[in-house]
Amino acid sequence: MIRVRIPQKKKEMEIPGPKRVMDILAAAGLRPTTVLVTQGQKLLTKDQRVEDGETVDILSVVSGG
Amino acid sequence: MKCTRCRQAAAAVDLPSHHSAFCPDCFFVFFRRQVEEGIRKFSLLAPEDRVLVCVSGGKDSLVLWDLLLELGYDTEGLYIDLGIEGYSDRSREKVIAFASARGKEPILVDLRREGVPIPETARKSRKEECSVCGTVKRYFFNRIAAERGFTVVATGHNLDDESARLLGNLLHWHRDHLDRQHPLLPGTGEGLVRKVKPLWRVSEMETAAYGFLKGIDYVTEECPLSEDATSLLYKEALSLIEEKMPGTRRKFYQGYLKGRGGLLPPAGKEPRKREAATEDGRTPGPCLVCGAPTYTPTCGFCRLKEKVGKGALR
Repeated sequence: MIRVRIPQKKKEMEIPGPKRVMDILAAAGLRPTTVLVTQGQKLLTKDQRVEDGETVDILSVVSGG
Repeated sequence: MKCTRCRQAAAAVDLPSHHSAFCPDCFFVFFRRQVEEGIRKFSLLAPEDRVLVCVSGGKDSLVLWDLLLELGYDTEGLYIDLGIEGYSDRSREKVIAFASARGKEPILVDLRREGVPIPETARKSRKEECSVCGTVKRYFFNRIAAERGFTVVATGHNLDDESARLLGNLLHWHRDHLDRQHPLLPGTGEGLVRKVKPLWRVSEMETAAYGFLKGIDYVTEECPLSEDATSLLYKEALSLIEEKMPGTRRKFYQGYLKGRGGLLPPAGKEPRKREAATEDGRTPGPCLVCGAPTYTPTCGFCRLKEKVGKGALR
């Protein structure tokens, strides 16, 4: 399983891997232009493949007000 | 995916709106050039300027300060503590740590000490928090800049902010707001300091990616008072379009700046002067209560203070 963390929403989920980043975002119901997907110090592009057992973080980039 | 610039390293940032993908080093070059071009196009900053950078602790303002320092501008940061429990304290810590790592000490304004913390002021004045926040922040941006001899105030508004604002202004036909929507608001001799938005060409995602890759430690949590902000709705609508038609957001805003969409009188490189911002062409004069420049007898900040029943500041 891939561990997906969305810290700003204090949410965490597991989805079956391997998956491309864009498919992970679709599974999490998030739009690609509104988030960064990171793995440690690395930024992942939407076509990158994430393997079973790996963890990714999703950060919203949208600020309001 | 390979970097479209160096064609060697793996890409870390893909930008469909620019038909490009960049490795970190090439992305830094791209981002810096975008901001430099944004500054150059409207002569936002000059080398001799003293720049007051308004920093919130979020990605946009810290990236802006970082880049202006890198570009060699004479800058100081201004942090306004909004008095939002927890959130403001965490934001302040980020700003102080950021500044300290660069040998700087931010100018701090604490709205609790000034008697206008945003949550309480909004409640007592029965106004929207974001509207109150805007009025109070604009007042202090200008006041601190004027008092301390800064020649320009810079804020971290990006392409997403400006295009969302444009959409809102068009949907409601806020003609007076449209007229003043520009990356450059010239200063006036009456005490209004020039205001600029050097990040107007870069998107929110690009700014966040730049901050992340540069290791800038910014506040990632959203302001708890902005959950229902209408700007978020406009941003979401534009994101939906952007995903189907990459580049639309940029064309929308830059197209507006080029021709003002044919909606307004022809504009040159600069927006209409602030002196002509009112329908009857009045120039700003001193607020009867605090002396700050204003187009009305009493400035928006003092009217707000009056509403919360505390009287004016000075």
